[in-house]
Amino acid sequence: MSANVKDQVVNGNGAMAIMLRFRTLLALALVLAIFSVLAPNFLTVANAMIMLKHIAIVAILAIGMTFVILTGGIDLSVGSIAGLSGMVAGALILDGLPLTALGYVIYPSIPLVVVLVVALGAALGLINGVLVSRLKVAPFIATLGTLYMARGAALLLSNGATFPNLSGNPALGNQGFGWLGAGVVLGVPVPVWLLAVLAVGAAAVAGATTFGRRVYAVGGSERAALLSGVRVDRIKCAVYAISGATAALVGLLVASDLVAAHPASGEAFELNGIAAVVLGGASLAGGRGTIGGTLVGACVIGVLGDGMVMVGISEFWQMVIKGAVIVAAVVLDRLQERLG
Amino acid sequence: MKQVRGGVKAWLIGLALVLVAGLTWWGTAGHKASRLIVIITPSLDNPFFGQEAAGAEERAHELGYDTLKFSHGDDAFKQSELIDTAIARNAAAIILDNAGAEASVAAVQKARNAGISVLLIDREIAARGVASAQIVSNNYQGAMQGALALAQAMGGKGPYVELVGKESDTNATVRSRGFHEVLDQYRGLVPIARQSANWSQSEAFTRMQSILQAHPEVKGVIAGNDTMAMGALAALQGAGRSDVPVVGFDGSNDMRDAIRRGQAVATVLQPAWHQARYAVDLADRQLRTGSTGQAEKLIMDCVLVTRDNAARVADFALQPAAQSAAAH
Repeated sequence: MSANVKDQVVNGNGAMAIMLRFRTLLALALVLAIFSVLAPNFLTVANAMIMLKHIAIVAILAIGMTFVILTGGIDLSVGSIAGLSGMVAGALILDGLPLTALGYVIYPSIPLVVVLVVALGAALGLINGVLVSRLKVAPFIATLGTLYMARGAALLLSNGATFPNLSGNPALGNQGFGWLGAGVVLGVPVPVWLLAVLAVGAAAVAGATTFGRRVYAVGGSERAALLSGVRVDRIKCAVYAISGATAALVGLLVASDLVAAHPASGEAFELNGIAAVVLGGASLAGGRGTIGGTLVGACVIGVLGDGMVMVGISEFWQMVIKGAVIVAAVVLDRLQERLG
Repeated sequence: MKQVRGGVKAWLIGLALVLVAGLTWWGTAGHKASRLIVIITPSLDNPFFGQEAAGAEERAHELGYDTLKFSHGDDAFKQSELIDTAIARNAAAIILDNAGAEASVAAVQKARNAGISVLLIDREIAARGVASAQIVSNNYQGAMQGALALAQAMGGKGPYVELVGKESDTNATVRSRGFHEVLDQYRGLVPIARQSANWSQSEAFTRMQSILQAHPEVKGVIAGNDTMAMGALAALQGAGRSDVPVVGFDGSNDMRDAIRRGQAVATVLQPAWHQARYAVDLADRQLRTGSTGQAEKLIMDCVLVTRDNAARVADFALQPAAQSAAAH
């Protein structure tokens, strides 16, 4: 519950503290202002929709990551899980689900593919959770291991090849995969709707449920949580499963957008996810952070990335600037903590 | 818990405010004819792709276009995002060295749907009628020339090693087939090892070291690109085997220098520079007349680089010989 105390202290600390409190939001406003001056066509509805779509990829991943980080953990495997999930979706659409024992091949419909793949992601996350909670493997190492295993599995699935043209076959009734990533409803891309639903749901879970309170408690002090009767193991398993599921969803969106599944896709997604969470003011030590903060963090990463591309800043400078923004965010975070 | 929830609310309200502020600020940028060409290549730090991008950029500037250069790092999703951004910037045309034959089709289609013509260079995609042009090197013809140079350097006999590029890349397969089209005709040439080194210099280096341990009798090396050839060359020199002829593919400056020093036998120059410039010419013609005036798929022949003409190779372009220049 350290979040409570901090909020109160900081709230009573004048303009400087308020600026610090909303530093990510200010950063976002600043980035938007800079690019709307520098980049042609930046402030158009079309570009906003494109940017929101790119933000959704980072943000959905980062929402799952937020839960993990709130418990004081980290999940490095999300990029690989996203890649593997896209590949599994590709295999299900093109090759179906072979039931060798019965001699049948089932071609699941697209909604079923989505459910199966997200369940697979959650199951892979659960493996992370068991490794971390029951087998006491450090999260960094456990998820580094699953990062490699999931990536290897993705490559094995097709022997390194791409699953092409996932638009489905009318005869099998599994068309429509492309809608998930590239579809538009009421002028807004489908991934953005998904993000909106997930964000509201996750914010409610984190902020207003017993589960959410326990997640904060585990991250605040694992021992205190344990002593007050929280089943820490279960909470940890659950947060990694959530992270695996959101990663799988991202994998589906990416494969759907490309209408093809590539085994190397999702590489380094975990780093963007972690960066968004940290920019959003979460502490890697656990116990502090919000879904709303993570969303703003993802917006900063997304707008910064797209804006720099639109302005035409050299690729190499883009990396320097992105790194500097992340470091600056953490420095401000320390500053805020000292003020508090 | 109230405080925590209050925090969430504050963030959400703040976010909404920023979005509303952004919305009210939305300008209606006029759709005047765009003079922007976006150039997307796999990387900017690799000399081949760097020259490709530089060639396209130079030609575009000569024709009075603005340019933006990006790289997708062989990540199809990054490529898709870059194309989104090119659409948002209202580009007139995109010059693209794509991130995978299958995985790039949807992204190229997306640009076409937005009314932007995409001209592919170096690599093809697995669809016809989506891109305005697909300009590729004649990898098969080039590979056959390189293989012939190796066969001659080996005197038509002896065991040889083949280093293959990334197997998911069509160019790797086509070049390998071209090599074998020639090498398999020589009864005396024995393939003793065929390994993928994923286009990478360091991988080729370690692979070649292991192969040398297993097959010290090797008498020749042929590689699917120059970076792998340079890796193999380093391993051979480390083992004191300067007697083994090496043939590469691409025509990089590194390989040219190795050929001039007598360390390597030959490479096959891909006209990356001219290819990229030609793509911009076609884009310009299409923008002015509505058509490139050419078939979609265009193949440019490669040129064998040996000691005789290595001095004229620079940055993936072959300068005309001095005599022919004097004749004009």
